[in-house]
Amino acid sequence: MLEGKNLHKSYGDAKILNGIDIKIEPGTITTVIGPSGCGKTTLLRALALLSPPCSGEVCIDDRIFEFPGAASEKISMVWPEVTVVFQQLFMWPHLTLRENAMLPLQSRGVDGAHKVVEDLITELGVIEFADRYPNEVSVGQRQLGALVRALALEPKYLLLDEVTSALDVEYIALVLGRLKKLRDCGVGILIVSHLLQFARNSADQVVFLVGGEVVERGPAPILDNPSTKRLAGFLGRVVEAENGDYSSSVII
Amino acid sequence: MGGLLVTLKLSSIVWSVGIVVGSTLGALGAQYRRVVGVPSKVISVVLAGMPILVLLFWMHYPMQSFLGIVVNPFITAAVTLSFVNMVMVADHIRGIINDFPRQYLDAARACGVSRRDTIFRIQLPILLRQIIPGLLLIQVSVFQMTIFASLISVDEVFRVSQRINAQIYRPVEIYTLLAAFFVVACVPLHLLAHWLKARFTRDYSER
Repeated sequence: MLEGKNLHKSYGDAKILNGIDIKIEPGTITTVIGPSGCGKTTLLRALALLSPPCSGEVCIDDRIFEFPGAASEKISMVWPEVTVVFQQLFMWPHLTLRENAMLPLQSRGVDGAHKVVEDLITELGVIEFADRYPNEVSVGQRQLGALVRALALEPKYLLLDEVTSALDVEYIALVLGRLKKLRDCGVGILIVSHLLQFARNSADQVVFLVGGEVVERGPAPILDNPSTKRLAGFLGRVVEAENGDYSSSVII
Repeated sequence: MGGLLVTLKLSSIVWSVGIVVGSTLGALGAQYRRVVGVPSKVISVVLAGMPILVLLFWMHYPMQSFLGIVVNPFITAAVTLSFVNMVMVADHIRGIINDFPRQYLDAARACGVSRRDTIFRIQLPILLRQIIPGLLLIQVSVFQMTIFASLISVDEVFRVSQRINAQIYRPVEIYTLLAAFFVVACVPLHLLAHWLKARFTRDYSER
């Protein structure tokens, strides 16, 4: 299990995470939702130990990292068992999408790396633009490339930050279908997303963040029956935005 | 022909010293910001405010007078221009290393890429693609600066041209030939720099 306990993170005076507890069980999908700036990406980076929390504890199966003070050499051992697809993707610009996916496997000396990458490239429909550089493809195509890079690593815990934001419905269905398959294979998935329908259909746990705190959490039905006004308000505004009505939009 | 050889010899020294020492200083400046980076940035800012010609004259007259020594003008020019090149190269390289998007390294960490592969297969290739075009353009500028050496009596190509002109008075032919020499030497380097930039420098913005 990937678990964050009492996670705190600040940048200067700004508190971004304020005592968050979260658990991601293997073989489950956790969806994190919340307004912009609520700490979703910071939480994801803290759990992946890329930007370790100022205080708190991150447990990855039987390994416990206590902050402050966890040794960076030990932290580096968790990647790519825990891996991330970033919102901005960060595909290496001098390599094609195919080379981006190949490099981590080659670096780790994975046998059959070529086949693993080619299978994913075919499955996710990347084949037509796999030999293009990241600046030569659309954001959506880059998102698919970044997913291929992450999935090829066969992580135990996969953390995804808004990775479907630029995909059309057909590709979203393809990607989400793949994520469900991964879940069924025992991968623990955390996805930061505004796709409420996906969360309703597939999430085992929904976590609603506001101001660096968990305001509400529970199984997917909380999206239809929220117990807090904040979540109800947020969901209402998301629905309005999806319908093109921004008249009652206010910052939560 | 003698002037041409002096110019090429002077340029070779200035290029070699500037690139080797400047690159080292730039890399060290990015790594050790307080000890190396800040002092070299200060030198760079001071140098940016000083005309090269003034620096060259200052190194040739006041400095030597102050130290009570007389140095061959060729050596003075070589040292001064190498110093200028070194500072410009260090500034260029330090800036590019400091601006390197750290997120690419985060992506490498998250993907479990080894430290060695992160340096040699991600960081260095991206950095070199950014560094080389600008470095070539700096070397073109420095090559053109070598004509200032004529003003402290170094017999490089410009001074020799002036002397020949003083003897035979054919300014149109002589200075046109001189201009052609610089064009032939500099334009290909310029074009190469632009080609390298267009060919290998990727758009980081990921539009």
